[in-house]
Amino acid sequence: MAGAGGGGNDVQWCFSQVKGAIDDDVAEADIISTVEFNHSGELLATGDKGGRVVIFQQETENKSQPQCRSEYNVYSTFQSHEPEFDYLKSLEIEEKINKIRWLPQKNAAQFLLSTNDKTIKLWKISERDKRPEGYNLKEEDGRYRDAATITTLRVPVFRPMDLMVEASPRRVFANAHTYHINSISVNSDNETYLSADDLRVNLWHLEITDRSFNIVDIKPANMEELTEVITAAEFHPHQCNTFVYSSSKGTIRLCDMRASALCDKHSKLFEEPEDPSNRSFFSEIISSISDVKFSHNGRYMMTRDYLSVKIWDLNMENRPVETYQVHEYLRSKLCSLYENDCIFDKFECCWNGNDSVVMTGSYNNFFRMLDRSQRRDVTLEASRESCKPRQVLKPRRVCAGGKRKKDEISVDSLDFNKKILHTAWHPQENIIAVATTNNLYIFQEKVN
Amino acid sequence: MEYKVEAHRIMSISLGKIYNSRVQRGGIKLHKNLLVSLVLRSARQVYLSDYYSGACLNAAQSEREGNEWDITDSEREKFPPSTTECDRIESSEEPQQNERPEKEREYRENDDEVKSDQADCTSTLQQEQKQNSSLDSVAKVSSETPPETIDEPKESPSVSTVAESDSSPEADGESHQPPKTHVCSNRKRSAEKTESGDLPQKRTKVASSNAKEDEEAEEMDTSNVSNLITIFGSSFSGLLSKDGAKPESEAEDSGQICCDQMLKNLNPWSTAIVAF
Repeated sequence: MAGAGGGGNDVQWCFSQVKGAIDDDVAEADIISTVEFNHSGELLATGDKGGRVVIFQQETENKSQPQCRSEYNVYSTFQSHEPEFDYLKSLEIEEKINKIRWLPQKNAAQFLLSTNDKTIKLWKISERDKRPEGYNLKEEDGRYRDAATITTLRVPVFRPMDLMVEASPRRVFANAHTYHINSISVNSDNETYLSADDLRVNLWHLEITDRSFNIVDIKPANMEELTEVITAAEFHPHQCNTFVYSSSKGTIRLCDMRASALCDKHSKLFEEPEDPSNRSFFSEIISSISDVKFSHNGRYMMTRDYLSVKIWDLNMENRPVETYQVHEYLRSKLCSLYENDCIFDKFECCWNGNDSVVMTGSYNNFFRMLDRSQRRDVTLEASRESCKPRQVLKPRRVCAGGKRKKDEISVDSLDFNKKILHTAWHPQENIIAVATTNNLYIFQEKVN
Repeated sequence: MEYKVEAHRIMSISLGKIYNSRVQRGGIKLHKNLLVSLVLRSARQVYLSDYYSGACLNAAQSEREGNEWDITDSEREKFPPSTTECDRIESSEEPQQNERPEKEREYRENDDEVKSDQADCTSTLQQEQKQNSSLDSVAKVSSETPPETIDEPKESPSVSTVAESDSSPEADGESHQPPKTHVCSNRKRSAEKTESGDLPQKRTKVASSNAKEDEEAEEMDTSNVSNLITIFGSSFSGLLSKDGAKPESEAEDSGQICCDQMLKNLNPWSTAIVAF
């Protein structure tokens, strides 16, 4: 089971680590806004509202002590984006990191793309563990030597030094988006990537920063006729010509870049007819898709709207193949959730390594594991109370109404300020990263 | 009837959200505002459909009761409240005009006050802001959309005047209600029993001790919201009156065509919209 990344319910999850400040007074800049493992799972990146990126590295396992699971420790921290001001429009541009996407590793260095509302940056993270020593004209501290005192010449050599991790911005992709960027996705060709805002999707080449191609534009000629916006976009994991974008109306469009330069006309439209019995003032809001993710094998895609997770087969457009309710007990509370703005929360979702289990977050620091193969689901909680090393997480239950059983939580006691919007699953192992407001929890599969 | 109360409440909340979005950091979020405007539209549809069904009922009653109600009042009940307001406004427009420059100043001051109040967030303060802001947005939106209101053209000239006269008494934070509203308000009260949880209502209750004035305030807010919902009638137009590409001066011009100098201070709002 270990290494296959499967089995959501046979697996028992236990606490591994928690990162971040303990105190309840959360500084806004510390609020985590994105979490992403790299392709090997060795590195885990988080972005926050203050524009910073923190990268954790998995320690190489200690073979002599198999109980001691590999831990993630801080590898690099850097300020990716700064707050900016658009003078023309008199608007402030937030430095919050909306998304981080890793590039597949090609050499010793690691590369990632990070984006805020308007600008995407390519960062190179490289290690330096040697430094040259023995210069002829310079002292070790950098001062220049008097040329007259030099009597012999030597060849400088590299000597080991304490590991230093450097992050440097290699490319800045700016001024291509009028609206707020919500997604970036690296193409399987490793040369291009897309960025999507509310109304447009642009295609970039990783080497070229002064040009990008607009491949989707849903802006109406008359803005008064606007009825939907783009909420997420992603490239297919294997087909470099295919990408999808989701809308606020609950539809997903699959586009083929070979068909035309401007992919306004979709190749496939995935839409499920609305259930008329569930109609309310807020039907349109809760059908808005907040995240779309292809499965690793490229056959399915998953969408997250406010109350549910849907799995779509790319070959079937008229309805999803699976639908899972995340927190159906909230359906009767939509009006209050509208008032306190919670209904606008954008939850993300993720697949495990072999596409058998999906995970998404909820309120009260709950997150849900939905096992597709066994058709079972479990609710777990990320809290400081279950923080003992290797402590097994207990399934949680929410009671929708009527008699509350022991160990159940009633809907009214849920803390809607404690929301898990961002989660990530290690690509190969059963290790998950779950972000609460300002803490990052890492859970691992229990090893006997 | 409960649906109407609920719809009205949702509309007030939505207007508050739209107003607050303009002062949020990072600029106006298109997605969220689109969703809020959709909710506003749904609530409006319910509200109007409930209103019409209620109006027919009341009209029938009033005819039976004969002289107790003015004929004009019964006519008003049949049409959306903004027309009602229009009738009343026209009769008393002249005394208003003299006060306009004063109100202009008060209105602008109030605008600044709202902005500075944004910092401290006590709940009453928020409610006040929301009320002011909902009125602000009514006035502002009405200033920009009258040329584009398609469904109910006969109301468009009245909309801006309605907005200015409605909002100004509210805007200066007092509850002087023009006496002309008194006639209608009693009937309105019977039609809409209780509007619990209404933010504007709470605010006026704080401000005034006179129960009658409360009703009048309710009436004002209802009609303000109704005006706004007619504006939101066709589409997203209520939020974005112009294509973002058009320069700011055009928005200013249209503002001036439809309303007076008093609404010039709406430019920060139009700037933000035009930005999109």
